[in-house]
Amino acid sequence: MKILVCLKQVPHQDARLDIKSDGSWIQEDSIKFEINSYDTYALEEALRIKDEKEAEVVVASIGPDRTTQALRTALGMGADRAVHVNDDSVEGSDALAIAKILAAIGNEESPDLVFTGLMADDGNFASVGPMVAELLEMPHATAVMSASLEGEKLIAERELEGGALEVVELQLPCLLAVQTGINQVRYASLKGIMAAKKKPLDTRSAADLGVQELVGTGAAKIKVQKIYVPPKTQGAEILEGSATDVAEGLVAKIKELGLL
Amino acid sequence: MGNILIVAEMQNGSIRESSYELASFAQKIADPSQVRSLVIGESVTEEANAFSTKGGGEVTVVDNAAVSNYSAEAYRQAILAVIQETNASTILLSNTPSGWDVAPRLAAALDAAFIPDCFDIDQVDEKLVFLRRVFNGKLDARVEAVADIVVATMQPGATAPYEGTTTGTVSSLEVSFNEQKSRFLETKVAESKGVDLSKAEIIVSGGRGVGDPEKFPETIQPLADALGGAMGASRPVVDAGWLPHEYQVGSSGQIVTPKLYVACGISGAIQHLVGMKGSNFIIAINKDGDAPIFEIADLGVVGDLFEVVPALTDAVKSAKS
Repeated sequence: MKILVCLKQVPHQDARLDIKSDGSWIQEDSIKFEINSYDTYALEEALRIKDEKEAEVVVASIGPDRTTQALRTALGMGADRAVHVNDDSVEGSDALAIAKILAAIGNEESPDLVFTGLMADDGNFASVGPMVAELLEMPHATAVMSASLEGEKLIAERELEGGALEVVELQLPCLLAVQTGINQVRYASLKGIMAAKKKPLDTRSAADLGVQELVGTGAAKIKVQKIYVPPKTQGAEILEGSATDVAEGLVAKIKELGLL
Repeated sequence: MGNILIVAEMQNGSIRESSYELASFAQKIADPSQVRSLVIGESVTEEANAFSTKGGGEVTVVDNAAVSNYSAEAYRQAILAVIQETNASTILLSNTPSGWDVAPRLAAALDAAFIPDCFDIDQVDEKLVFLRRVFNGKLDARVEAVADIVVATMQPGATAPYEGTTTGTVSSLEVSFNEQKSRFLETKVAESKGVDLSKAEIIVSGGRGVGDPEKFPETIQPLADALGGAMGASRPVVDAGWLPHEYQVGSSGQIVTPKLYVACGISGAIQHLVGMKGSNFIIAINKDGDAPIFEIADLGVVGDLFEVVPALTDAVKSAKS
């Protein structure tokens, strides 16, 4: 069985978000990056299948030089092989272009399963997974909270509102865009990290995947005009002072509400 | 600008409120004559008729047992057929579990622009600009489509449902559904375990900022107890396995409307806000002054919750004794 896991390297969850002077995105130069949280759950789900049956887990990611680190981490956790699309011409791609690149990798790899995270912690577009499924002509499910293989079928539980779950059956090959909390993500062991250095990591370009015309700013079908700090409307009244002062202020308010 | 197609969604036999919100957006940005709608499901004709007079405009109905439950493949096929039939260049869905599941596939199938989870649409010089949030709610973004067709999803609750009247006809489209590679099996309703937070009058919730599972019984629970309330949590806490799902407040957990909600170490991502914004009074404690939670809180403290919360617990106990 072959599982393709698509990862994105995103700004660390607690990174300072300084907006570029042209407002087009945040400054990425001096912040830390990490594997997108949703994608770590996707990788873990693939590794759990590999724990139980023979499977090759291939991780793929699109990004600049720093993305190699994310792929080595994934290999350290137990993935077998990595594909890094490191190509400046990809800069400015929208989700659909990213999906086209990943689908090109998918067509080369012919995986039985493709796992992605539901969305990325930076853009929150939640698009690449279902788009890759469409391009690879596979059935898919999003917001997956549990997945179990039953022969040539996969039973997935999708998260609905209020904690309800929709149970669907997908034929293989299929794609899952997983939700956080589907499992508990493992740490890479020291042994795993050492072994990762020797595992194959191939660097590819858009051209050798045959998608050079379909990517980059020129091909993008959306344009982010600007990003900005949300205008504050009223917002909270902020209490200042020491913890004891503040506690007194809060208690006074709670009393006023008649709740003490 | 060409025709707009609203993809309405059924829930428990009626068209959901979020579909009427799509009608508000559509009627705001387009001429009523350009507004089209699709109502898809089984035995939906009556609802479709109502929708055509309440913002839906010209409604196409796909009424078929094959679509009695949501299925990405069947919905995709029906929606693509209607997009073609209505010559729509803007397609709107709600960002619900069905919407976010099928909409990106539609965009890929049409090689269209895709702009999801928007909270508003502006019109600037004949162009549509979509407003959405990025970085889990910390920043806003203005996004435009640079393609002939745009598929967009709107956040449920982002605007009021349409309250006007519209005229429109309702016609039926027969779709011969292809064989599918996926099928709906069942819906599992969430079991209610533990405290029913939706009934609690006071809730003290902890988020990722609490940092450690032990700190919930050590720091958060004592404040909840002192106030005579219940403890809750945001999603990351449950994802990390620190607390079970029944503590989760948010769109995929419980929606709560207590008299008092105290959010400790919670940044205020949209999915959490959806769960508690109906609270009567909100107090937020977070060391990050830019956290989105301070925008909807009534009273806030920018500080270390490990100093503030124990101080507050003591102060509450003193006040009560």
